Amino acid sequence: MNTRLVGLLAAVGAAALPCWAKNVDLSTIPPRDTVQLTIYNSEDLTLVRETRRVTFKQGINPLQFSWANTLIDPTSVDLRFKSHAGELELLDTTFPHDKPQMLYWAVRSAFDGDAEIEVTYFTSGISWAVDYVCVSDPAEETMAFDGFVRVINNSGEDYAGAQVRMVVGTISLVEKVRELAQRGIVSEVDRYMYEKSEMRARDFDAAARKEVCDELQMGMARGAVAAAPKEIVKEGLSEYFIFTVEGTETVPNGWSKRMRLFAGKAVPFHIQYRYRPQEYGDQLVRMFLLRNDTASDLGSTPLPDGVVRLFRDNCRDGLSFLLAQTIKYVPIGQEIELNLGSDPEVIHERILQRAWRSDFWFRRNGASVYYSPTEGHRIEIKDTVAGWDDHELWIERIRNYRAKPIAVEIRRSFAGDVVFRSDLAPTLYDYRSPQFTAQVAPAKTANLTYETVTHQGRNKQQDHVTLEERQ
Amino acid sequence: MNTRYFVRAIGALAAAALCGVTPALAAVKLITLPPRERVEIQLDNPQATLAEEERIVPLAAGVNDVVFAWANAQIAKDSIQFRCLSDPEHIKVLSVSYPPGENALTWQVSATQAGSARVRISYIIGQLDKSFAYRAVAAANEKSLTLWQYVQLHNRSNEEFGVAGMWAGFGERFERPIGIAETRQLLSARFDNVPIRKTYTASLSEFGYLDAGKQQLRIPMHYVLKNDRDHGLGAFPLMFGKARIYQDDGHGTTAFLGEDWAGFTPRDDELKLALGVAKDIVVKRTIDQRRQDRVLGNLFDYDVVVKYAIENFKDEPVTLDIAESMRALRAEIRGDTGRDVEWELVSDATLAEHFDAVKSTADRLLFHVDLPPRGEDDKAALQTHTLHVKIKNEW
Repeated sequence: MNTRLVGLLAAVGAAALPCWAKNVDLSTIPPRDTVQLTIYNSEDLTLVRETRRVTFKQGINPLQFSWANTLIDPTSVDLRFKSHAGELELLDTTFPHDKPQMLYWAVRSAFDGDAEIEVTYFTSGISWAVDYVCVSDPAEETMAFDGFVRVINNSGEDYAGAQVRMVVGTISLVEKVRELAQRGIVSEVDRYMYEKSEMRARDFDAAARKEVCDELQMGMARGAVAAAPKEIVKEGLSEYFIFTVEGTETVPNGWSKRMRLFAGKAVPFHIQYRYRPQEYGDQLVRMFLLRNDTASDLGSTPLPDGVVRLFRDNCRDGLSFLLAQTIKYVPIGQEIELNLGSDPEVIHERILQRAWRSDFWFRRNGASVYYSPTEGHRIEIKDTVAGWDDHELWIERIRNYRAKPIAVEIRRSFAGDVVFRSDLAPTLYDYRSPQFTAQVAPAKTANLTYETVTHQGRNKQQDHVTLEERQ
Repeated sequence: MNTRYFVRAIGALAAAALCGVTPALAAVKLITLPPRERVEIQLDNPQATLAEEERIVPLAAGVNDVVFAWANAQIAKDSIQFRCLSDPEHIKVLSVSYPPGENALTWQVSATQAGSARVRISYIIGQLDKSFAYRAVAAANEKSLTLWQYVQLHNRSNEEFGVAGMWAGFGERFERPIGIAETRQLLSARFDNVPIRKTYTASLSEFGYLDAGKQQLRIPMHYVLKNDRDHGLGAFPLMFGKARIYQDDGHGTTAFLGEDWAGFTPRDDELKLALGVAKDIVVKRTIDQRRQDRVLGNLFDYDVVVKYAIENFKDEPVTLDIAESMRALRAEIRGDTGRDVEWELVSDATLAEHFDAVKSTADRLLFHVDLPPRGEDDKAALQTHTLHVKIKNEW
């Protein structure tokens, strides 16, 4: 164990501070009774809360707390008294200049005996990540949606028998804990020692090994009895969501541990084919769309950022791997979009069928006077083209070789002053992006036709798309 | 089974020793090494290969540690999944632990009673992938061919799988041994009597000149296969791969005609395999007319006539495809403007009646002309075709 609370009670008794022995010391090491880790994934931050029992003598009691080879922010270390709070008083905290990653508390006690204390501090190097494993049924109508959480400990400290809580949400920090841990209180010495200690970060001391080992053996002792996967309790707190792992966990330094977060038994989803070049590139992609709500057997919590791995039952007693995709935080009720990429069974061709121009306007002698033949103006030989309309006739051809009808959505963005003419009931996604949908029956081809008219030069009045019915 | 990676189901006391957290524990330990019972390699995803293996793991009643470790193989650690196939109601994975700096993980598996459990472990493995190759033997009359499609499995994953089932995403499933650093070519499908169309294409923008000084076009010859049921194919899309084409030489053997990359060909599309340049078909392309007609102000139309002087020196009739890119033609006569080309076919030219309206687009015009064989005097008839097009509204 790298963090130590050392009671120097036997050595100095109730002697007045700061007359601690420099070279000859006797100390006691009260072990951790409990430890709780609250891990934030939006920042490299973990709040550690540990309790220990310390024996106090009446008078002034020095306590030493040290955290060699760890990533603890020294400015965050705090001491509270969980018992005898009225009889114990923290007088001061000293960070000795020659002993980095260490502090002394001077505690005045009004009694002789044990008290439970709580030490809290921030550390970096502990993180958690969520991943999701989904297995679609062969018909691609429902999927098993399982969430897992993985706790990764690279803090330099072993946490045996810890209660683990994970916070979903974005917190505000003005300084990074890792930087504070590096900087320390006495920056130059601390930095040197920290860099030195970084190299030794994996060298656990014997006590730490023993503690972890004991915990592992305790875990194994339960081995004679079958256990159920641990429940992870989810609850909201202000803008955050907290996942609490049932019981305690041991995560030694350098290790990570993955546990089931939830299981969605049969989450319904639907499939849509999308052409959105600005979002998915120049291809028609196959999307699996599901929703994080109770109707979908999900929705008990927001879904934190994580990697989704999607498989499909391939009907041959095995799985097919479909995708690995990172999803962003999904609030309760929001849709989850899984992009499977292009589908060799659904072919999309974009065909420019015809191009032509119309509605010319001419400028004379460079002046801002314009003439249009369609308005009956006479055009002279030296007049130059100043405005026109570009017409393009497009066909989006969709060939569906799948055994089921498919839903297709086409969304394109246009720059300039564009009229989008179509009988496909288009709508505007935004001021420059018309979109429309269609169904394509199995083994059928759909030719989705539209015309664009781009007002150019003088004809351009706006920078947007307007929709018109195509005659 | 290769020992590079393996599953170890271990007794509880041995676990800590394996985890390396204490030298004091379990100097004597017993580890079982359950062999693979079944391996399936799923090659249907174009980006990743999924390996699934089944093993029979002895479990004690209570919590068991099952260690999965590998070396020198590119297994995506986060992709490893463990599923119990026998009695999943009573055998559950409690958690997974990942030791530092090791290619290993430990599943904590709870079992209500002692016994063997069949488990399936799935993972994404790198350097184990596939490609496709084709072999085609055309009949002597070049009217049909036999097409073989092969799946080539390349195993550079540093792992030996023994006899494994494989599936490429379509067609039949294979079961073959896969050795280390082995490439195995498997016959995926065979198609007999596939009708082929032999095409000759004249397209300056696509294939350039054979002799630029004489403005003689390069005329590539293709075998065209249609991937549909009517042409003996169409069961699935044809994947990208190299195609080697042979021809029955009439003497019981075959002659190699050439090879080409077969592009991804969806169903109902045509697969074009280039076999070489046809030098017996001579096409000289010239621009016979370029007339600039003022429309208004600085706005012009261009009246262009492209002439094709064609001679077929073959002793058989052929069909010549003539393709013309309107954008390239405009660039040739006046330079490119970046704008779409507005054009209009003028019907007085000979090619107008050979226009393929279905396959032509706003930019590429396609025509088909039939060429007679050379005469009995070995002279080829000179055919002259013209394309008359008006390129409109340019400035």
